[in-house]
Amino acid sequence: MSGILNLVIGLAMGLNLIALGSSRLPTLIRAVSVQGVLLGVMPVLMESERLDWRVLLVALATIAGKGLLIPSLLRRAMRAANIEREVEPFIGFVPSLLLGAVGTIAAVALARALPLLPEHVGMLLVPGSLASLLTGFILLIGRVKAISQVCGYLILENGIFLFGLLLIHSTPLLVESGILLDVTVGVFIIGIIVDRIQRAFDSLDTRKLTALHE
Amino acid sequence: MTLGLLLLIAFLALSASIVVGFRRPRIWLALTVAGAMLGMTAALRVLLGGESGEWQSGFLLGGETLHLRLDGVSALFLMLVAVIGGTGAVYSHEYWADQHNPSTAPRGRVCWSALLICMGLVLLVSNGLHFLIVWELFALCGYFLITLDRERNGVRAAGWLYLVASHAGTLGLFAFFALLASRTGSWNLGPMRAHAELAPLFWLALFGFGVKAGFFPLHIWLPSAHANAPSHVSAIMSGVAIKLGVYGIVRFSGWLPIPPAAGWVVTGLGATSALLGIAFAFAQNDFKRLLAYCSVENIGIIMIGVGVALLAMTHGNAPWGRLALAGALLHVWNHGAFKALLFFGAGSVLHATGTREMSRLGGLARVMPWTAGLFALGTLAVAGLPPLNGFVSEWLLYLGLFAVVTGKGVTAWIAMPAAIMLAMAGAIALASFAKAGAVIFLGAARTQPAAQAHECGYWMRGPMLVLASICVVIGLAPVLCWPAVAGAVASWHPTWAIGEPPVSLVTLGSAQIALAIMILAAAAWLWWTAYHNGLQRGPTWDCGYATPRARMQYTSASFAGIVSGWFRWVLQPERKARRPRGDFPAEAIRLEHMPETVLEHIIAPVGGLIMQASSTVLRLQHGRLQFYILYVLAGLIGIGLFVFWGCIP
Repeated sequence: MSGILNLVIGLAMGLNLIALGSSRLPTLIRAVSVQGVLLGVMPVLMESERLDWRVLLVALATIAGKGLLIPSLLRRAMRAANIEREVEPFIGFVPSLLLGAVGTIAAVALARALPLLPEHVGMLLVPGSLASLLTGFILLIGRVKAISQVCGYLILENGIFLFGLLLIHSTPLLVESGILLDVTVGVFIIGIIVDRIQRAFDSLDTRKLTALHE
Repeated sequence: MTLGLLLLIAFLALSASIVVGFRRPRIWLALTVAGAMLGMTAALRVLLGGESGEWQSGFLLGGETLHLRLDGVSALFLMLVAVIGGTGAVYSHEYWADQHNPSTAPRGRVCWSALLICMGLVLLVSNGLHFLIVWELFALCGYFLITLDRERNGVRAAGWLYLVASHAGTLGLFAFFALLASRTGSWNLGPMRAHAELAPLFWLALFGFGVKAGFFPLHIWLPSAHANAPSHVSAIMSGVAIKLGVYGIVRFSGWLPIPPAAGWVVTGLGATSALLGIAFAFAQNDFKRLLAYCSVENIGIIMIGVGVALLAMTHGNAPWGRLALAGALLHVWNHGAFKALLFFGAGSVLHATGTREMSRLGGLARVMPWTAGLFALGTLAVAGLPPLNGFVSEWLLYLGLFAVVTGKGVTAWIAMPAAIMLAMAGAIALASFAKAGAVIFLGAARTQPAAQAHECGYWMRGPMLVLASICVVIGLAPVLCWPAVAGAVASWHPTWAIGEPPVSLVTLGSAQIALAIMILAAAAWLWWTAYHNGLQRGPTWDCGYATPRARMQYTSASFAGIVSGWFRWVLQPERKARRPRGDFPAEAIRLEHMPETVLEHIIAPVGGLIMQASSTVLRLQHGRLQFYILYVLAGLIGIGLFVFWGCIP
């Protein structure tokens, strides 16, 4: 069981690298949405022996939210704001990839040093979550356009979600759904803000926001 | 009528005067004076009748019950508040009248009444939390009064400086009262000498109250605030408000145990403050700044007395401590009276000529005889000359200091230099006020406004006459106010009760009266001979010049030149001079500016460094989102590492 789970997490970590290396916004959004679907499958895989309706609900909601709803919101914002499809990097693609790789290795190393429960030791959950967090941060710091930063934020949130899976038995459904709702609303609002930034500055370059500073 | 009822009615009268202050200046004046008189009656009954009051009420304010107390020490200061508050109110009726200052006069009246209430409450409140509240309100009322004329830049700057310095002091007081409350377990104040562990708190109180009292080097706010405020406000700030700082030091050194070094430090600070304060005063050209620096000197004199009393307390309750403390407390009254008189006189000159620069005045004695005479009386009192009140209190202080010196104990090491510095300060004070009186009132008018000056009206003259008569009465009959001072000393330290006035004080009283009679006789003889032989009037400075001009007179800077040269190391005067050279000299210039040394050479550079450091940090806030996220990441990693290393010891 843990073999399939590790495979899925490995795929998600691969998607992190794709997100870091992609130069076009649609690819980036697609990577995020595929990662969302993979994450949605994960609770089912973990609990395949004793499935109950709550786990299924979490899985379905995650797939629908992260895999479909949020990416479609992003695409709509992209179309509505008439954004060019290129990702403008602040940190170049190759350095980002290198940073991502180093981050992934560091995450694996760090996970070994952490005092984990015995049933989590063999799994990639913790390294995967740390690597996603770092990837999210690299995207947030290293990309110029607001949309790509939203993608970074989503990947960061996926890392948190992975960490949360460690606690799937003890986290109530309400908290899970609350987090999901928060993320969706966050992206929704960012979509609106993106549109406003575009109108005010004729560009989505967040560097131009410095004009607002006193 | 009981004491509590008197104070309650005084409070109600002053509160009512706040309400009517905006519209009805005359009713305001009547109510304020009535409130001041009632407060004075209550204070007198405590001081002379030996009553004392303590009131506790179940009413909760900020979670603490109200607790008021009026004993000898607070009554002594309450008397001062009432006298200067009442006379200042009368003075402001003409000085800051509605027809000249339609927009600010009503505000000034309201703030004045509020200030009187707050100062009274500072003296009465006996709960740490409430003390902080009324202390803060008192500082704010002072701020609004100082900035009454806020259209002018200098006034606003002085107001800010006062507010900032005042809050720095209040910060110390917050620490003081909070630590006191946490160590004793209650906000209630009262005698607690038994708790020896409270002694170090004295230093916090000394700082907090010292900023308000304005002794060197905490006086930075004082000169500009007193110079720029309207004169009746300068009078109450200088005469009373800074005394509340002294009250705090006296009160809490009496109630709390003191560290052994306290007496040494306070005496040293007082002596430094007395000498440097008057050195700064002598060098000033602005007569209100001169008076303000002179307040620094007088606070120094009072602090010497308090310091010697503290020395006596740590060295076996020696009797000289009582004399010095009595001198200091009497000087609180005396300085209040003559400094308010001098500020009223200065206000009258300012009112008549519109300038505070002494070098633009001159010859005012002819057009303003009342002001000139009363100002001269004030200068004699402030210089500590007999037969006036300044001499009496300084004399008590000298008696105490001489007793320490002749006692040949270890304490003589501080008392001797303090006595020498006090004597030097007295000499320079005499010179400063000779300069102020001569340059302002004697000689010929230097400018047009000085020539066209006019005498002040009755509303301004009356309060000056009252204060001048207080100076004379205390000077001629020091025995009269002895019970008040002795009562205050007794309530400061219960075992220090002194019943009979010292023999020397009685002798001093008769000597002063004899001296006064001699002076009066000499004046009468002079007047008689002048009246009979006929007076010949000629221009001043007519000594050998073909066409004497007003600009040939001594200026205030030339008067002070030599002495300010002695103190150049601390005064740091900024000079700009171009001497006349060659056969056809170009225009010659000599400009001299006296900076406020502590402020401009110590505090301003330190403040500049802090501002520089802050603007370096401000560069981190550039508005680039990506970098902000980097900061967050760096912070997270930092916390992570901290936790990580914390887990693996």
